[in-house]
Amino acid sequence: MKRFAVVQLSGCAGCDVSLVNADAWVDEYKLVYMPLVVSTHDIPEVDILLITGGVRNDEDVYKLRHAVKRAQMVVAVGTCAISGGVANLGDRDEVREVFLAHHQPHLAPRLLPKCHPVDNYVSPDLYLSGCPPTPELFMAVLMEDQDFQASRIVCQECERSKLRDMRPTHLMGFQQGQVDSEICLINQGYLCIGSSTRGGCRAPCPRAGHPCVACRGPSDVFIEKDSEVWFGSIKRVFDSMTSVPSDEIEAGLRSPQLALFLFQFSDYAGDDRAARSREKMF
Amino acid sequence: MATLTFPLSRMEGHAQVVVEISRGTVVSAHFQATEYRGFELLVLGGPAEQMPVIVPRICGVCSTAHHVAAVKTLEAIYGVTPPPVALKIRELLMLGQLLQNQATSLFIFTMPDRVGAESLYDLAERGPEEVAADTVAHALQVRQVGTHLITLAGGQFIHPVKAVVGGVTSGLDSEGALKMLDELAWALPIASELFDAYWEASLAMGERLGTWGDDAPACYITSVGGERPNYYGDVLRVLGCDGEEVCTIFPADDYQQYLIEEEAEYSYARKTSYQNQVMRANSLARINLAQHMDTPRADGYLTRFHEAFGQPAHAIMLFDLARGIELVYAIERAREILVELLDTGQVDDRADVKVPYTPRDGEGYGLVEAPRGPLIHHYRVEMGKIAQAEFIIPTVHNLAAIERALRVAAERYVTAESVALELELAVGRVVRSFDPCIACATH
Ligand code: SF4
Ligand code: SF4
Repeated sequence: MKRFAVVQLSGCAGCDVSLVNADAWVDEYKLVYMPLVVSTHDIPEVDILLITGGVRNDEDVYKLRHAVKRAQMVVAVGTCAISGGVANLGDRDEVREVFLAHHQPHLAPRLLPKCHPVDNYVSPDLYLSGCPPTPELFMAVLMEDQDFQASRIVCQECERSKLRDMRPTHLMGFQQGQVDSEICLINQGYLCIGSSTRGGCRAPCPRAGHPCVACRGPSDVFIEKDSEVWFGSIKRVFDSMTSVPSDEIEAGLRSPQLALFLFQFSDYAGDDRAARSREKMF
Repeated sequence: MATLTFPLSRMEGHAQVVVEISRGTVVSAHFQATEYRGFELLVLGGPAEQMPVIVPRICGVCSTAHHVAAVKTLEAIYGVTPPPVALKIRELLMLGQLLQNQATSLFIFTMPDRVGAESLYDLAERGPEEVAADTVAHALQVRQVGTHLITLAGGQFIHPVKAVVGGVTSGLDSEGALKMLDELAWALPIASELFDAYWEASLAMGERLGTWGDDAPACYITSVGGERPNYYGDVLRVLGCDGEEVCTIFPADDYQQYLIEEEAEYSYARKTSYQNQVMRANSLARINLAQHMDTPRADGYLTRFHEAFGQPAHAIMLFDLARGIELVYAIERAREILVELLDTGQVDDRADVKVPYTPRDGEGYGLVEAPRGPLIHHYRVEMGKIAQAEFIIPTVHNLAAIERALRVAAERYVTAESVALELELAVGRVVRSFDPCIACATH
């Protein structure tokens, strides 16, 4: 039986809980280490190591480096592991100073100045994106499922219909308005990013009447490019389908609830690191 | 002086227990939360209306509670009352979370302690034979009924999206609602069977250990309301340490008058107390304050519980049994609500699920009863942006009680001659009975 382990760094455990819902691996794998559900306190040698959460403190750095040595294959799972995730909202200029001045208990692990993606420290073999990835995506990775089919973009997995003659002039925010159940959310004035977000999640959010916030990250065409290219493409979609002024779109894209996911891939860290390759994206 | 550090597992998040011993005497027993992301700071300056998307990420185990609490807080600030059907859908969300969480805590986190396994997954191979092979499968399936219910009512089972200011984004679809009814009907007898076996296994464990853990009186806090329980959140009630029926009742806005929060040098989590007394939240608090559950099977279990252990009951292993009562309740109550919505024609996409609103600045509180206890969000909004945010987390109400129970366990297993190996297991059991959530507690 193949063995796998899950190391949880600073995150919300949502990725881990999603994995617990994906139980098809039970017959093929032995889960040898995952503190959320298994009482083993050290990582043995494993075939696959999943890493969830970002690197927020010195203990995360140690755990991460220690764990990858024992794994044949390393998968960075979820926005936090890929970009630092929601904890990086603390790295905005307005917040950074308050943050650094915040009281730190001196007997607990030391916080790093910001939250890092795991590939600032180790080289994952695969990135599984999503906040969190759905159980189906976890199973496709673990089972190396050849039959698994993901659409190129979320729009193709959402059944709403795009209309030519319904052009909103302003954005709605995510909380306002009565959502029509059949029509594309863009036609209804919502800043939905499904048109360029990688598919595979089956579009649960737009199906439920909520815009896609792009938690899966950009589709393959944009993976190796920097985020401006992705932004440009989102803006072109809105220009062709709506009459919303482009500065309104720009502000919406850069606001926290979207920035959190829109910067997750290409140029997150701002260092000279090469772009993550599209072959490594699941 | 010796310092023993115990790593923790089968619970949410990063924490450890540190016990200091001097010449056979326990000097201290600390619960150390070792992670921190800083949500109260990182949401500052962000548009208030984005909180329902951002704050579920505080915790993937409790995301539903944060999602609903954020929406309730904004509604309090904007002065919005959502339509009744939206409230029903949100109650279903909270019940889905209760079902999912109690199943996780009972079967994945604590069942292995009762049979001496490392996880639920190897319970079948390592546990005693009387543990039927399909226990594992059933436990995981019952848990998934909870996640399916969250998905139905919330769009996503982790970080749900459907609750919005003024209501929900869409109604329930009838196909999904009918399928859910079948799943719940299947789950009810299975969950009861699992709980009965769990109850027996707990009695056996209590017998074997000769203790049910710290059983000194404590105060209890909950917000499920006085009549039938409502996990959507009502007012806060505290049962005093004397166990008198007189409860302190106060709205979430007044929490600072009653609850004192303090920081610790060894942990990223704060601790609360009620009038300087040890306080407990979570399942046992609710069951100690409940007169009835108002669903048939859950009421049966409640009576059996009160008769067997008294009311209020204090031994910490009873938190686990109290969770079982709620597991059964969540299934029964979700069925009732779905049947009612179907019978009254309120299940279809075009139902009136949302009212319009106008955002405004101000300060407000949102309260829900999360599986771990009352969760309060508090925001101050200026120019449409978050100027202050506080998250008052149920686990934080339990931390003083956890440390007291750890000390009781340590004193039992530390003697002048030695430290019994059992201490490590006891530490795990104590912590798990409170089912703490560290991502939430530190946020
Ligand atoms: S990626 Fe999302 S679900 Fe996963 S740990 Fe981070 S916040 Fe949680
Ligand atoms: S629809 Fe968009 S936001 Fe929702 S899960 Fe899929 S990629 Fe993520």
